[in-house]
Amino acid sequence: MAGDGIRAGDTAPGNTGQGVGHSVPRKEDDRYLRGTGEYVGDIRLAGMRELAFVRSPYAHARLVSIRKPADAAHLVFTADDLCDVLPIIANSGLPGFKSSAQPALASGKVRHVGEAVAVCVADTRAEAEDLAAAVIVEYDELPALSDMLDAARPDAPLVHDHWGDNLFLQTRVEADLAEIARTAPVVVRRTLRTARQCMSPMEGRGVIARWEARLEQLVLTTSTQMPHIVRTGLAGCLGLPEEQVRIIAPDVGGGFGYKGILLPEEVCAGFLARHLGHPVRWIEDRREQLAGNANCREHHYDLTAYADADGRLIALDADASVDAGAYSIYPFSACLEAAQVASILPGPYRMDAYRCVTRSVATNKAGIVPYRGVARAGVCYAMETMMDAIAAETGLAPHLVRLRNLVPADAMPFDNITNKHFDSGDYPEALRRVVAAIDVEGVRRRQAVQDGPVRLGIGFAIFCEQGAHGTSVYHGWGIPMVPGFEQAVARLTPDGGLELRVGIQSHGQGLETTLAQVGHEILGISIERIRVVHGDTALTPYSTGTWGSRCMVMAGGAVATACRELGERILAIGAHLLQVAPDAARIERGQVVCGARTVSISEVARTWYLRPQELPADVCSGGLEITGGYKTLRDTGTFSYAAHAVVVSVDTELGDVAILDYAICEDGGVLVNPMIVDGQVHGGVAQGIGTALYEEMPFDSAGQPLATTLADYMLPGATEVPALRVDHMVTPSPYSAFGQKGIGEGGAIGPPAAIANAVNDALRPLGVSVDRLPITPHRIVQALMDRCDRGVS
Amino acid sequence: MKPVAFDHDCPVTLEEAARLIARPGARPIAGGQSLGPMLNFRVARPDHLVALAALAGLTGVEDTAQVITLGAATCHAAIEDGRVPDLPGGVLSRIAGGIAYRAVRNRGTIGGSLCHADPGADWLITLTALDASVLTWTPSGGRMIPLAGFVTGAFRTVLAAGEIVQAVHIPRPGPGFGWGYVKACRKPGEFAHAMAALLVDPARGVRRLVIGATGGAPVLLQGVRADPACVGDALAGSGLGRVERRMQAVVAARALAQATNGRVMPA
Amino acid sequence: MTRVTLTINERTRGADIAPRTSLADLLRDTHLLTGTHLGCEHGVCGACTILLDGAPVRSCITGAVACAGRSVRTIEGLAEDAVVAELRAAFTAEHALQCGYCTPGMLVTARDIVLRLPGADEARVRLELAGNLCRCTGYGGIVRAILRVLDARRGEAAPVRPAPLPAARFAPRLRDTGAGTGVMDPATGAPVAAPDAGPDGAPDRMRQVLMLDVPADQVWAAVRDPVLVVECVPGARLLSRQDDRLVGEMRVSLGPIQAAFGGEATVEYRTDAMSGRLVCRGQDQASGTRLSGEAEFHVIPDGAERCRLEMDMRYALRGPLAQFGRGPVVQVFATEIARTVGASLQARLRGEAAPAPPARLGAGRLMVRIVWRALKRLVSFRHDG
Repeated sequence: MAGDGIRAGDTAPGNTGQGVGHSVPRKEDDRYLRGTGEYVGDIRLAGMRELAFVRSPYAHARLVSIRKPADAAHLVFTADDLCDVLPIIANSGLPGFKSSAQPALASGKVRHVGEAVAVCVADTRAEAEDLAAAVIVEYDELPALSDMLDAARPDAPLVHDHWGDNLFLQTRVEADLAEIARTAPVVVRRTLRTARQCMSPMEGRGVIARWEARLEQLVLTTSTQMPHIVRTGLAGCLGLPEEQVRIIAPDVGGGFGYKGILLPEEVCAGFLARHLGHPVRWIEDRREQLAGNANCREHHYDLTAYADADGRLIALDADASVDAGAYSIYPFSACLEAAQVASILPGPYRMDAYRCVTRSVATNKAGIVPYRGVARAGVCYAMETMMDAIAAETGLAPHLVRLRNLVPADAMPFDNITNKHFDSGDYPEALRRVVAAIDVEGVRRRQAVQDGPVRLGIGFAIFCEQGAHGTSVYHGWGIPMVPGFEQAVARLTPDGGLELRVGIQSHGQGLETTLAQVGHEILGISIERIRVVHGDTALTPYSTGTWGSRCMVMAGGAVATACRELGERILAIGAHLLQVAPDAARIERGQVVCGARTVSISEVARTWYLRPQELPADVCSGGLEITGGYKTLRDTGTFSYAAHAVVVSVDTELGDVAILDYAICEDGGVLVNPMIVDGQVHGGVAQGIGTALYEEMPFDSAGQPLATTLADYMLPGATEVPALRVDHMVTPSPYSAFGQKGIGEGGAIGPPAAIANAVNDALRPLGVSVDRLPITPHRIVQALMDRCDRGVS
Repeated sequence: MKPVAFDHDCPVTLEEAARLIARPGARPIAGGQSLGPMLNFRVARPDHLVALAALAGLTGVEDTAQVITLGAATCHAAIEDGRVPDLPGGVLSRIAGGIAYRAVRNRGTIGGSLCHADPGADWLITLTALDASVLTWTPSGGRMIPLAGFVTGAFRTVLAAGEIVQAVHIPRPGPGFGWGYVKACRKPGEFAHAMAALLVDPARGVRRLVIGATGGAPVLLQGVRADPACVGDALAGSGLGRVERRMQAVVAARALAQATNGRVMPA
Repeated sequence: MTRVTLTINERTRGADIAPRTSLADLLRDTHLLTGTHLGCEHGVCGACTILLDGAPVRSCITGAVACAGRSVRTIEGLAEDAVVAELRAAFTAEHALQCGYCTPGMLVTARDIVLRLPGADEARVRLELAGNLCRCTGYGGIVRAILRVLDARRGEAAPVRPAPLPAARFAPRLRDTGAGTGVMDPATGAPVAAPDAGPDGAPDRMRQVLMLDVPADQVWAAVRDPVLVVECVPGARLLSRQDDRLVGEMRVSLGPIQAAFGGEATVEYRTDAMSGRLVCRGQDQASGTRLSGEAEFHVIPDGAERCRLEMDMRYALRGPLAQFGRGPVVQVFATEIARTVGASLQARLRGEAAPAPPARLGAGRLMVRIVWRALKRLVSFRHDG
């Protein structure tokens, strides 16, 4: 049941080196290191044919006609051929939401570049692409909406003709700020923008669909983070009962949110496999990904902060827009991003009043998908920019302004102005530690004497990250997918191995190792004998999947629950074998122990499965397999937090930014595997550096994406990501099984804010700032040249 | 992202190669490190690919007191690794080592890079500054074409159909020459958004500044005009914005500082 | 199909493959060596890095046919390799992988670093890794793992320095010593002029003004002839004409980049004002790129014997060819076409040689030579003028 409150060491006394808290090397590494991982693109099925899509070159156009090549018309499918296939619909439950219908193949209109218009079948991908190039599509181009502010204007062309405007949803957090605005000693305003990004996991999306006649079942192997959710959505679109759909996620080459979505391509492939009677496969190539699926992160903020003369924040007034793209994607909808903006913009700070208007604006771009950190990367950038603005206005040091406003440790748990329930932690201490780590005074001394083209800057960011939030939060945000109990199956094999079956999917997070560590923690079975089974709806209990920094808390809690309940059955059988009362025995290091007498768990398993004649009839009818269900003690989430501090140098002639030092103090509660946690932090920071300095999908006024190769869309490499210094604090969450907190996304949240603040700190003496991400050399030089021009005129 | 269907011919003689690449729809390919992506993107759609990298006539090196001649099929990595003669100070090795990534340098060739004529290509910019020429081959005789003027614009050269670049002639500068090469890239190995190469060769009275990444042919400034102060004017009609023009002037100034070790030498 | 035989992981393997097959696809699809991953298929990400004759190479942009007779090693063939064994252990110890997709290519590059650069420090390791992208780890673990193996091997025999390339004699058989005829003007260094930027910086507008020593009415008569106008567009061909509705195609090239736009145009003339408007749209079927454009033209008399022809052109490119970020290239190229049109028109109006006919259109190929010749003419005008 919920919140067993098992703590590290409760059931596996002694340091086995494999339980919760240990940097156990990953079980999954070996297959990847030998090239024997199995991704969708590596799988071949007899009779399988390849798919290529005809995609819209226009951002917005009316479809006039589609002409199939005469000699291959039976191998080309359009919306008209997908009889009875329903569009993908993801409605927010919030009042006023306008619904969109995302078709598997476009009909009537195309609404973004890369939208699928037809699908072609051939023996090889090259031949399928040949066929796609021979399909003649006639379009009537319509005015494209490539900018969310333009799209929100009353006279804008419409993405969805029947809506009347282009707003999926507008929300308001109301407060009367008139008096504060009149009296506040310090008022700062900023307008900020973040760019459209492409999440760019190294493996793109991909799907193999096969109709299995024996089971009358569609088997869809797809590179997804959430197989059970895809099953629900796909079954709905194809009109199949869910028991006739099986989703398998094999090895998945990175996700970050990109694969947390039901795809039109999955719907098409599922339809075609059934219709054609042979397996079909689609592998997304990088061009399709960049041209059609830059689908995250794009925010615009108008912010006013009110503070008193010593930097204490009085109120925040925010107007935020999110470019939500053309369609509300399943399952997260077009509005998760903006809902998060409204609820977490205040960050880890206290304030007296808060007003926020958000708009989820439809444009002619791909539907927005939550990317690692979701809205938090933008929100943190916005809030931390305001903190530096207050510091500049008051003349106080940036970290002092933050210390004056952070929720202090003695206020925990703390309900903030938007009713976020911060569970535990010492936010000011995290900040103090990074301030010490980067030697602020030393950098300030060097800044004071610099006069060349290269300028130093210091930037901070501090944020908290709600993770593993559950039913009430998602219901409140109106998301069509609301997570409930997380489940896990724990099963002993006849020879004493432990299978853990979980509905989440591990694609880099190392859950095959960390969940085994949890199983080991409870039952003491060596992790070499614990196998984590995931990524298959036929083999695992229902789960909403891997997203929202939830797996270690939710699946970890479910595994702990299942193992504990399994342990009670093992104890019952073991106690019989020891001829003692069950409550006199306990489980220790893979054995049932009573005094000096022991019986191994594997002996218990062998007896139950193979020698049942040795057990009484009433010993334990449920056997050695159990499904455990788990929720945290409160479903408002764990709040990990981190402070980031960075020192940069800015070449003011060429606009190059070099990261000289990067220090992090992070509190993820009890760390199940500190090595893996550090890996998540490092990987997240690399992505955050991309957001801060490199990654941007620009669109021209016609909605054409302009960075459709990896030479144009810049992903950070080993030379762009510095060595990081990561310090940990450990404040357990009172609500999770081991005190662990979700930390998967945090690394990506801080860098845009910290780096932008550092760059602007360097530029401040020159009288300029850059107020949009990414901060490119061009933007820095342009800002300086503009300033120079103004100075002349 | 697969190429269109094409034939892939692997001739063994220059005569055969020249005949094959003169066919309509034929495209020569050397290391294929620039053409390969264009094929996969289907923006290059040849009927025939003609492989040149393995041709005997395009390999090897010739070294004299006046000039280094590198076979066109010499790969960047061989130059990086010092497997060919170099100018003093390892000028060629350092240029080669800055091209893309090692795996690309193992395949990409100096001749292929010049013929591809990418406006941001390292060899095109630097060898133009070094006053190098390409030696071409056709069945009826070849040409020695100075790199200044070899490229007519982005991705285009003066090569005639069937004309093959056989080797690159790199004259050795006089004693005491200065060399500077600076490029501004978002990331190592990526296309530069500003690049400048500068040769100061007082013994021969030569001063050549080449600006690359202009979107078109490299821009050569000589003599007194080989000065960072002239870069802005020279790029006035280039299509580059004022920010990019400013950056070009900055890299030119830094190339000058490199070439003169900080001392500005009289033009 | 082409027969390709090469050595893969020390075994001779032959296969009949389409000549367009990449080495990566040969390995993965034909020989089922799926440890070599495809991450970008354009040579940037490094996931497909394998060893070709012992050196790391991108298999996604290397043609399989070009590897005939050569030796390839993939991650599967490195299972027993001593350096890779050390790297595997170090990668696990340093948590140098998460999703595993970049890992095989990363190991091939890491092995090359260890063997080729035994003295590499952290900065050098990072630089050498620049061509292998990882989206999960942030590289710290990978860098530490490689440094760990480098450290463990310190003091071992230095790598064998590769041999110098063989000497050769390049005996030129020069037909002429002619300098190039590129458009770069060595005197000013100025490349061809660029168009005005569009409202959002998009290079989608051009203005051409031609001063002509020809009376306005003659120019107007010429402009009224669509056949002549089309002939002045490099690579353009008129396929049919019905009144003012024209059907045609235009083939353009930019080095290896090719496009063949087929489509239609309409022309309106306003004789009293000696002005008109041409609207066209077409598509490059092979890439799915759409081109639309319009040109306003206006003949303005300048005395009795001279006139000015003003052309304002706008074009819009949609689809793959519009989606590369290297703006100035497209910009300069578009300008060159516009200038060529203007120059050709001027030549025709002066009664000079007609532009070269669009040869080989039936062959469906590129107008490399046409554009080249047109540009040469442009150059000669510049020198004449």
